[in-house]
Amino acid sequence: MAAGTAESDVGAGAERPRRRAPRFVLASPAWLLFIFFFAVPVLFIFWYSFGYKPDIYRTIATDQLSFDRYVESFSDTFRTVFSGTLQISIVGTILCLLIAFPFAYWLAVKVPPRWRGILLGLTIIPFWTNFLVRTLGWLILLQPNGALSGIMQDLGLIGSPLDVLDTREAVQLGVIYNYLPLMIFPLFVALDRLDPALREASKDLGANRWDTFRQVTLPLALPGVIAGLLLVFIPLTGDYITAAVLGGAKGNMVGALVASQFNTAQNWALGSAMAVILILMILGSVAIFAVIGLIGRAIVRRRRRVEIEPVTA
Amino acid sequence: MSAVTERRHVRRDPVNALLGVWGIVVFVFLFLPILMIVIYSFNDGRALVVWKELGIRPYVDALDNPTIRNAIFTSIRAALGAALIATVCGSLAGIALARRSGRWTIGFLALLFLVLVTPEIVDAISLLIWYVRIGGPFGPDNDILNYGLFRLWVAHSIFATAVVTLIVRARLAGLDEALEEASADLYAPPAQTFRKITLPLMMPAVLAGALLAFSLSLDNTIISSFVSTANASPWPVYVFSSLRSILRPEIAAMSTLVLLLTLFALALVAIVLRRGGQSGEEAAAMIVGVEAAPK
Amino acid sequence: MADDFRDLKILAPRATAQRITRRHFMAGSAVAVFSSSVLLAACGEDPEPSNGGNSPAAGGEIEDQLNFYHWAEYDDPAVFEDFTAEFGAATKIDIYASNEEAIAKLEASAGTSGYDMVIPTGVFIPQMVELDLLEPLNLDLIPNFENVDEIYRDQEWDPGNKYSVCKDWGSTGWIYDKTKVSSEINTWNDFIAVAQGEASGKTSVLDTPGNLTGIYFWANDIPWTTTDEGDLSACEDFIVNELAPHVKAYDSYPGIALTEGKYALSHAWNGDARQGLLSAEDPDRYVWGLGAPVTELWMDNWCIVKGAEHPNAAHAWINYICDPEVSLKDLAYHGYNTGIVGVQEEAEAAGLEFLDLVFFSDEEVATMDPGAVNEAQGRLVDIWNKAKAASGA
Repeated sequence: MAAGTAESDVGAGAERPRRRAPRFVLASPAWLLFIFFFAVPVLFIFWYSFGYKPDIYRTIATDQLSFDRYVESFSDTFRTVFSGTLQISIVGTILCLLIAFPFAYWLAVKVPPRWRGILLGLTIIPFWTNFLVRTLGWLILLQPNGALSGIMQDLGLIGSPLDVLDTREAVQLGVIYNYLPLMIFPLFVALDRLDPALREASKDLGANRWDTFRQVTLPLALPGVIAGLLLVFIPLTGDYITAAVLGGAKGNMVGALVASQFNTAQNWALGSAMAVILILMILGSVAIFAVIGLIGRAIVRRRRRVEIEPVTA
Repeated sequence: MSAVTERRHVRRDPVNALLGVWGIVVFVFLFLPILMIVIYSFNDGRALVVWKELGIRPYVDALDNPTIRNAIFTSIRAALGAALIATVCGSLAGIALARRSGRWTIGFLALLFLVLVTPEIVDAISLLIWYVRIGGPFGPDNDILNYGLFRLWVAHSIFATAVVTLIVRARLAGLDEALEEASADLYAPPAQTFRKITLPLMMPAVLAGALLAFSLSLDNTIISSFVSTANASPWPVYVFSSLRSILRPEIAAMSTLVLLLTLFALALVAIVLRRGGQSGEEAAAMIVGVEAAPK
Repeated sequence: MADDFRDLKILAPRATAQRITRRHFMAGSAVAVFSSSVLLAACGEDPEPSNGGNSPAAGGEIEDQLNFYHWAEYDDPAVFEDFTAEFGAATKIDIYASNEEAIAKLEASAGTSGYDMVIPTGVFIPQMVELDLLEPLNLDLIPNFENVDEIYRDQEWDPGNKYSVCKDWGSTGWIYDKTKVSSEINTWNDFIAVAQGEASGKTSVLDTPGNLTGIYFWANDIPWTTTDEGDLSACEDFIVNELAPHVKAYDSYPGIALTEGKYALSHAWNGDARQGLLSAEDPDRYVWGLGAPVTELWMDNWCIVKGAEHPNAAHAWINYICDPEVSLKDLAYHGYNTGIVGVQEEAEAAGLEFLDLVFFSDEEVATMDPGAVNEAQGRLVDIWNKAKAASGA
């Protein structure tokens, strides 16, 4: 390869004009877009979070800066919202993983290749339906005087009309449903790329199913698992639409809190502080998760280390 | 390769059967709400969630309702514009990351990461404040085009650009540079190399990115509800605000129509891709936006 | 297919070459389609830039669009259609659930929201004028203004009707399902007792700070407009700790939802409760009660948003809706007293249903308090936010 490049330099390179543009120039439209319409506006939010609401009429004043809004955000009532949101998003992410993994495994490994494309296509369809509309589907399904409620009562599963709407459980169900495809796809890709020969080799060497899964499949699928966890956890924590549809008063997520400061309370300073806390919450969770993962990996590696004695001739 | 080693007979053992059952259960789970929407789109009643009687009145009402029609058209126009911006900016950035990486790459990737990690509500409130602050093309002074639409284009394209960038970069990074070098060996100037080699080879990723950007824009609710104006409010904003008062069957009817359209478009894309030589699996994976090609 | 190969001068595996031609074509056409449709879309319909300046409309040609920022289910869709048929202006309605929300949005957009009309409750108008959110009206363009009963003109919060014309007025109370709530509810204290007891977890309250805190103040014989810190703290303590946990939803439009089984007890405005009764299969099952011993008197008004792009259409609308026939038609739908001279007699003559929820007796009106927006407003909004957070816990 290197020899080839050298030849082409000698042959045609001398006559071609040198590239003069800097290396990043192609990325500049994206750069500008991000800087001008993402970085700067978000920096404004950071700036506003140190301000205050001057009176009932105006929304923000930044002549006196302080951390007061942050203190206010951690008051009792708001703290419960933060912890409630984290609970829903962590539980939701884990459940998504537990549901999606067997499904992705089945699709990638067990389903005959000629069916795979169609089934994958079928999995995409809900993903392509509007997010809000999908959630409305659950709203219809879980109605107290709806079909599901009737069937469950007839079967004796519940004694009175289904009353799961406007509860935390409904929100949990809703978010798992909405983000499940985002967990399925990376898992599918990771498992799909797995060479079946590796698993067969493992079997040939005497490992049973579970060992093969634990020591061959899972580690190789790990990048997909991580991608899925991130793809689900991050948007889920900031989402409040699902909670608004299915949760009623019980569906208070941090995103709704931030939105209400801007939409109704006109308190941009407090809203900005809460927004910053939300960002930190997400980054912090991802960081903690990464640290746990690294520690876990180090432990596993240490256990698996095989000491090879130096050969004494 | 996998076709050779894959045995045709799947052992009929409990684990495989269980997995199969689980697969079906998950499929049912995924489609249940959508089925409800389709069924209730035929609900000739006053409220969406309360079944009255079977009828196609919601479809008639939906198509008749100017607010709903406007919302859908706005959504489509916004999605087209956002997809265009995101595809162009993202593809260029992806090329730069894959082929022209250097010291600037770290900073750019960090910014990209931040864009992907920031929750939508933060983008929404920051853009609202920003748009009003800078006015200009984002305010009523804009005589050339609907400023509300312009706001949506820019707002929707930010996250989408980041996604497209990563998809294109992954695709290019996976491509053998030997082809481009060979083209240079054959005296093709860089522009021609790009046009005839690089561009066609990365086209699947660009198309996947464009499709993904389009669908992300159509789906976008939170940012749209904050920055949209009266003259350009997209479909999700209409549905979300209906949620606060009374949901009508027309919403389900229009959603079913949009779903059918989407399915039709997806099928079209899949057919074209299959004719172009990709397996059904690759086509589906590409539509989803994940790379089926090895990194 | 073979022809494609001859034209292609690249070094590539055969399969890839095959793919390139198709994708190249598809990509090229896709880009062409995208760009042309985007251009077409952008240059397509533009809102007419018109006299959105500082002076009242001069009364020119009526524009082809009118954008409302409105409460929900607050006007008959047929009335909108009639207006469009007669004047040619298409109407569009976006919804809010509280005055605070409307003001926040208009203020945040600073004239760029695109709305022409907003319908604020009277006591909020001084704040909106202060924030420069409203356009002054040109009453010359509203000759039907003389149909508005004099007692509803020239209110304290907008002397001379510079910015507003009365849309309707109403009050606040409750509506409940007799089969789910066995006790009678005659006062706000009864409401609270049932909300904490039989209807716990099935109660909805109005999604506005004033109405929410009003429950406490009216139940405890405290003036609604108090700014006393002790009162406000007691209110916060009660609402957040003792009422919020029992609330199922903060819903400003619960009427129909209640009659469809979603709630057992709802805090509601009279017209919305009436809409619930109208749509119910067995209206006798539901009981409406006006807030007692004290309740609210609110008046909603037609106002024009600052920077409205269609002021002529806006004025035409206000004039149109003040016509007695149109007003009656609208009243039949939304169920609030529109304040037009003679509308009560007309409504009774027309045989409209549930008029006891629309027109109130003098004794009832005597118990209604219009309230005011004062320094306590910020605190009320705070209590409201905390209550919502507490309900979600």
